[in-house]
Amino acid sequence: MPYTFCHKLMKEGFCKSKGKSMEITTRDKILMNVQKPTRYTGGELNEVKKDPNTVDIRFAFCFPDTYEIGMSHLGMKILYYLINRRKDTYCERVFAPWVDMEAEMKAHNMRLFALETGDEITNFDMVGFTLQYELSFSNVVNMLRLADIPLRSSERTDQHPFVCAGGPCAYNPEPIADVIDFFMLGEGEEIFDEVLDIYKQWKKDGKKIRKEFLEKIAELEGIYVPAFYDVSYNADGTIAEFKPNNPHAKPTVRKRIMKDFDTAYTPHSIIVPFGEVVHDRVMLEIFRGCIRGCRFCQAGYVYRPVRERKVDTLLGIAQDLLDCSGYDEMSLSSLSTSDYTQLKALTDGLLEMTEKKKIGLSLPSLRIDNFSLELMEKVQKVRKTGITFAPEAGTQRLRDVINKNITEENILKSTDLLFRGGWTGVKLYFMIGLPTETEEDIRGIADLAGKVLDTYFAIDKQERAKNINITVSTSGFVPKPFTAFQWEPQNTRDMLIEKQNLLKESITSRRIRYTWHDNKTSYLEGVFARGDRRLCDVLIKAVENGCKFDGWGEYFDFDTWMKTFEQTGVDPDFYNLRPREYDEILPWDHIDIGVTKKFFIRESEKARRAETTPNCREKCAGCGVGSFGAGVCYE
Amino acid sequence: MSNYVLKYARGEEVKYISHLDFVRMFHRAVRRSGLEMAFSQGFNPHPLMTVALPLSVGVTSDGEYMKIAFAKNYKEEHIISELNGALPAGFKILNAKQVEGKELDLTKIDRADYIVTAELENERVPDIQAFLENETINVMKKSKSGVKEADVRPYIYKLKLEEEDGRLIMLSMQLAAGSSYNLKPDTVLDAMEKYCEGVKVMFKSIHRVSMLCGDREYL
Repeated sequence: MPYTFCHKLMKEGFCKSKGKSMEITTRDKILMNVQKPTRYTGGELNEVKKDPNTVDIRFAFCFPDTYEIGMSHLGMKILYYLINRRKDTYCERVFAPWVDMEAEMKAHNMRLFALETGDEITNFDMVGFTLQYELSFSNVVNMLRLADIPLRSSERTDQHPFVCAGGPCAYNPEPIADVIDFFMLGEGEEIFDEVLDIYKQWKKDGKKIRKEFLEKIAELEGIYVPAFYDVSYNADGTIAEFKPNNPHAKPTVRKRIMKDFDTAYTPHSIIVPFGEVVHDRVMLEIFRGCIRGCRFCQAGYVYRPVRERKVDTLLGIAQDLLDCSGYDEMSLSSLSTSDYTQLKALTDGLLEMTEKKKIGLSLPSLRIDNFSLELMEKVQKVRKTGITFAPEAGTQRLRDVINKNITEENILKSTDLLFRGGWTGVKLYFMIGLPTETEEDIRGIADLAGKVLDTYFAIDKQERAKNINITVSTSGFVPKPFTAFQWEPQNTRDMLIEKQNLLKESITSRRIRYTWHDNKTSYLEGVFARGDRRLCDVLIKAVENGCKFDGWGEYFDFDTWMKTFEQTGVDPDFYNLRPREYDEILPWDHIDIGVTKKFFIRESEKARRAETTPNCREKCAGCGVGSFGAGVCYE
Repeated sequence: MSNYVLKYARGEEVKYISHLDFVRMFHRAVRRSGLEMAFSQGFNPHPLMTVALPLSVGVTSDGEYMKIAFAKNYKEEHIISELNGALPAGFKILNAKQVEGKELDLTKIDRADYIVTAELENERVPDIQAFLENETINVMKKSKSGVKEADVRPYIYKLKLEEEDGRLIMLSMQLAAGSSYNLKPDTVLDAMEKYCEGVKVMFKSIHRVSMLCGDREYL
C-alpha cells in the first residue's frame, strides 16, 4: 500500500509509563540513512499549511534539481505563494531527490512525494515543472518516473495529473514537448489563476475528457499544448511545416507579461530553509527585463520589456520579508542592478533599514564606478577578496559583435579603483566560441588580463593591496533560441579545446590563473537549447539509461548520452553545430515573445558588421516588444 | 546585557536539523521575535548563545538547555512567549530564567535521561539485569583521541526495560553526560549487542528526556 511520507500521520502507540510512542517508522529509517535529511522533511518556517481535504486542486510545484538549488529560486517562491493564496488550491513543493534518497525510495517502494504533506504526487491534480536550464530536463523525466506518472503526455489518462511546465527553457518547449501536457509561456503571475479556474470547473463537471480541458486552456493567451500541433520534416531534417491540428490551438502562442510590475503580485513571505541553501537570503526583485540587448543573452530578450518597481514598493516588500524571515542578509535581484533608475534612493532607504540591525546587503551585477564602490564600502560586510567582471570577449571588435557595452577603458578604470580600495582579486569571465571569433580575439583575453595586472603594478605600493589574484575563466558559447545568434553554429568540442590551449599559451604571467568550463556539458546544452521534438525520444531513453543530474559534474554521463543518440538514431550535431538560414523554420517559431524575428535578423546582420545597438533607454531599437504596451518602451 | 538560561523541547518535526543549522535557525527566530540579542565584541560580531551538549541528528528532546544573552532586560514570560511565537513548529521554549554569573552553570551537567526505542533483529528481549551485573562492559567508544575500547559500566546509572512488543523494545536510560564524560545511548546499545546473546539492533530512535546536575533539574 502506498503510504504517506509524513510524521504527522504516524501511528500512535504510546508507552503508558513515559508518554512516548514506541514506534520505528520507515520514514525515520530512510531519513537516518541519507545526507541532509531536512531536504525531505518540509516543516520550515512560513511553509503553507492546509488541510488537503478542504481544497479542490492539489498542485505539485516541481523544481527539477536539489532542494538547495530549488529553494534559492525566486520564481518558485513567487508562484508558491501566488497559487496558495487561492483557498481552493494547495500548492506543495517537490524537488529532485538526491541519488542516495532515490535509492532509499526505490528500496522502500516509495513514490515521489511533496514536502508539505508527505503525500505522493501521483494522484495530484497538476504537476508543474519550472525549466530553468536545459541540463535539468533529464531530472524532469526522472521525477515523473519516480512519481509513477506516465512519461509521455499521450500515455496519460484521466487517472493521472496534468503535467505542465514554464520558465525560460519553455520558450523552446520542443525537446520536451512529448512529456508535457501544456506549457505556460511568460510570467505566471496571471495565467495560473485562469488555468486553475478552468481546471476546477472541468473537475466539477466530472473530469470526463482530458482533451476538453486542454482545448479550453489552449484558447488562453500563453498556453501551448504540444499535442495540438503537427510537425513534418524535409529530407535534410529541417522542419517542413508546423501547424495546429486542433481548432482550439492558435498558430502562434504569445508569452504573458505583467504590464504593471509595480503592482503585480509579489509575496510578502518567504520560506526559511533549515539547512543552508545556495541563496540563503531575502531576494528583492527590483525590476524585470534588461535594457542592454547583449546579442547572446536569451534572458535579455525573453524578459523584455524592462519594468521597474517603485522605491516605496520595494522598501515595503523588503521590510516584510526581513520581519517574517529573520534573515540577516538581503540581496537585490535583477539582470543588471546599475540599470535601476532610482538606485541611490533605494539603497539609501534599504541602508536605513539594515544598518542598525546588522543586516547585510549584497548588490550583484553592479557596474564599478565611484558611486558603486562607495556603496559597497557601506553595505557589504564581506571581505574585499574577489570581484567578477564579465567582459565576455577579449577584443573591442568582438565585444561590439556581441553588443556587450563594456570597454577596455571601463575595465581598467574599474580595476584601478578596486585595487586602490584594497580589493585583492579580480575574476574575468569570458565566452569562447563566439560568432566571428579569431585567434586574435582569444589572445585578446590574455592581453586584457595582462593589462589588468599592469594596472595593479602601476599603483603605488602603499596604495594597493598586498596580494593580487587574477583569474581568467572561460566557457564555451552556447547559441540560444530568441537571440541574435540563434542561427549560428556552436563551436565543436575540438575547436574549443584548441582555443583553450591557445589561451593557456598566451597567458604568460604566473599571477594569472586560467580555469575553463567543461565543454561536454556545453555541447549537450547546445543540442537541447535549439532542439526539436525528435529529441524527446532521446531524452526519455537517456533517463532509462540512467542519465540524471546532468548539471552535476559527478553525475553527468556524456558517454551514455552519446550512446543514447546512437541508439535512437538522432544526430546531435544537427542541432548545435549546423549554421541555419534565416528562412529555415525554427522549432520555436510558433512561440511569440514579442521581440520579432525581423529584429533578430537585423541584430544578426549588425553583429556580423561589428555594429552596436544602443540600449533601450538611449534609443529604441524597435525590437517589437512595445506591442505589449508596457515598461521602458513607454517611459 | 542580561543572561538567561532557556529550557526547550525539540520534537519529531525538527529532529533532523543539524546543530549548526539549529544555531542559525535560532538566531533568525530571535530576530523575528523582536527581542534584541547581545553580540560579541570584535571584528566579526556574533550573537552570544551557547547550547549545552548539542543533540545528535535524529534525536528528539524534552530537556535541552542554552545560555543566551539579550541586549535588554526582559521578563522571563515575555521571552518565552515571544520566542514561541517565532520558532518553527516542533520547537518549544519550556522555561526561562534570568541568571547572574555562574548561576545554573550548564557546564556542570553530568548526566542525562533517555528513552530509547529499538527494533531488534528477532523477538529476543535482552536480559537487562544480567547485562548490568557485568563488572566491566567494554565496548568501542568514540572519544576525542579516536575510537577505542573502554569500560562504560560505571557510566550507566540506570537502565530499565519499559516495554516490549514483538521485535520492539523500549528502554529508559540514565547515562553520564557532559564535558567530563559523555556516554551516548547508541554506545549502550552496541554494548548490549556484545554482551546479550542474540541481540542485534536493527534501528533505534532516541529521545532525551532531561539533562541533570546530580539529581537536580536545572529548570
